[in-house]
Parts: sequence; structure tokens; C-alpha cells
Amino acid sequence: MTPEISYALNKLLTDIARQHQMRESLTDAEMAGHSLSDAERLALRSGDIGRLYELGANPYLIRRVFRRRFTI
Amino acid sequence: MAEIVAAALTAHAPLITGKPEIGDPGQRDRLYAGFREARRRLLAARPDLLVMFVNDHLQNFAYNNLPAFCVGLAPTYDCPSEGGAKLMRITPRKVRGNPGWAMGLLEAGLEAGIDFAYSYEIESWDELAVPLSFLMPDDETPIVTVYTNCAAPPLPSPRRCRQVGAFVGDYVRSRPAGERVALIATGGISHWVGTPETGRINPEWDRRVLDHVVRGDVEPLTGLTWAEIERDGGNGGQEIRNWIALLGALPGRRGEVLAYEPVPEWITGCAVAWVQP
Repeated sequence: MTPEISYALNKLLTDIARQHQMRESLTDAEMAGHSLSDAERLALRSGDIGRLYELGANPYLIRRVFRRRFTI
Repeated sequence: MAEIVAAALTAHAPLITGKPEIGDPGQRDRLYAGFREARRRLLAARPDLLVMFVNDHLQNFAYNNLPAFCVGLAPTYDCPSEGGAKLMRITPRKVRGNPGWAMGLLEAGLEAGIDFAYSYEIESWDELAVPLSFLMPDDETPIVTVYTNCAAPPLPSPRRCRQVGAFVGDYVRSRPAGERVALIATGGISHWVGTPETGRINPEWDRRVLDHVVRGDVEPLTGLTWAEIERDGGNGGQEIRNWIALLGALPGRRGEVLAYEPVPEWITGCAVAWVQP
């Protein structure tokens, strides 16, 4: 059984990861033009790594982009 | 026929080289010693070519284009690419590919029903750079890469990974006599990366995996489901697909654990193992 993923979330995180940029959170400007749900926007805006995982972001991308949010 | 002269299985976690100082010195030294021993054996085997079973971490293949298996046709690999060098603290260098050899593998695969994707340009991360920083015999020995999707489910089944590995092994043996090929698989063992359980390691599961390697018994590993691996080995544990492919190329050959250290600071059950070629 494959976990559900969010294509929109992963598309945006892939773009940022490929610029080799690490973030605490994302701005509305960065999210503009992406078809994200309100819950996804909220999680990105607050850098909520646990919520992003629940919403179907790939954990490797979460780690790449929000590295500083991890305690280990 | 060509010969498989060496075979190694290793972890590839970026912090192994990126933050050597944060790990327990005893663990670090034992793991590094395992890598040195693998390098010594690899050098002694005098390979002409390294065939690497590895996986992407979404730096090449994203959700708009995700091959289950991909043969690298790149003439050179940046090890690591620019973005990863700082994190892994490895001075970037160019490692030669062997596009001609890789094309032969690709064509033979397609002919035999192994529908590989292919790529002429691969951005390499820890999957190549970390193990090669320890193992690379010299700057001349070229590599051929077989990338398996281990990071973005749904993933190819472990059973299929063994079949692909067996095909690669047969392909090597179909090559002209005199060619000396080493097989290297990287990744695993247990680690949780980017999930709410990030940092967890499961040494008990790691030892079970290593036990199968030692006995040359890949069958129990090929029977594992994605969910079982995710539960016991974490999302990073899915990378044992690369190991299973290598073991598929050398059926029944026994392994030897050169080092195993579950290093919490590197968030990975770190292993170096040798398989009798």
C-alpha cells in the first residue's frame, strides 16, 4: 500500500531543494502559482515538518529543505 | 568470460563524512576501519570497472518522472555534485563513467525484458560520493551506475530488484574474458530520514539483514514488503533494494561483516560488508 503523496507539495519542495537552499519556512511569494491546499500552505509557512509529512511531502525533501528544523 | 572479482555492500549516509566529529570516536574508527579493509580488498582484486547499485534521493528523479531502474550513461560523475559537497565535506572530484559498457548493459536489458530507463546526466549525492571517498581504488577506474527507486514509493519489489541484479551479474559474465568487474551496493541499513521518527535506528533488524548477507541467503529479504521494511528499517531501510540486487548477482555467495555500527549521531545503522565474488 503506497502512502498518499501531495504532488503539489513535492513539486515545490523539489524546486527549492534543487536550488540547494535550506529554509526555516516558506513565504507566500514562493508558494505563488502552486496549487497547494490551505493546510499545505500553513504547514510550509510555519515550517511544520511533522505536518508536512502527514500531508504527503516526501521525507527526503522535508529533510533537504527544512534541515534546520530537525533536532538531530 | 569476464569475472566479478569483488563485491561490497556499504552504507552511504552523508554524515559519515559530513560530521565525523559528532559520532562516538570508537564507532567512527571501527566503521572507517571497515571501509579501509573493503578498500584494501578492492585494490587487491584489481577491478577495471565498478558497477554500482545505488539510489537517487530525488535530486535527479522527481515526481514528474520516476524510473524504477535507471542505467547511468554519464561520461563523468561529479562526486559529489556541487550542492552536496559542503554537507558531505568531500572535495568534489570527477569520477569517470563508462557509457559504452553501460549502453551494452542497457541494450541487453531491454532485449531481455528488463526495461531500464537511462540517463546521460546524473547528479550524484551521498549514494556515490560517500562510499567512493573511502573505496575508490584510484581516479582512473570507471563506474557504471544502476539507480533503483528506493526513495519515492511505490518502489520496485525486492524480488524484482534481485532479478535485475541477477541480470546484471549474468551480463558481466557474458562479457569478454579479461574484464575484471567489482560490484558495489550502497545504502541502508535502518534509518529514518525526514519522518517524525528521524534519528531512529533498529540494530536488531540491521543484524537480521546482515545475518542473511553472511549466510548468502537473500530469499528472506526478497520476501519483505514495502510496509515491513518501512516499519522495521524506516524509509532509509528501503535502500536495501540495492544490496538485494547485488546479492542477486552473486547467488548463494556468503558475506562477511567488516563493520557494523548503529551511529545515532549519523542517524543510520552503518555497515560495511564484503561478499565473496
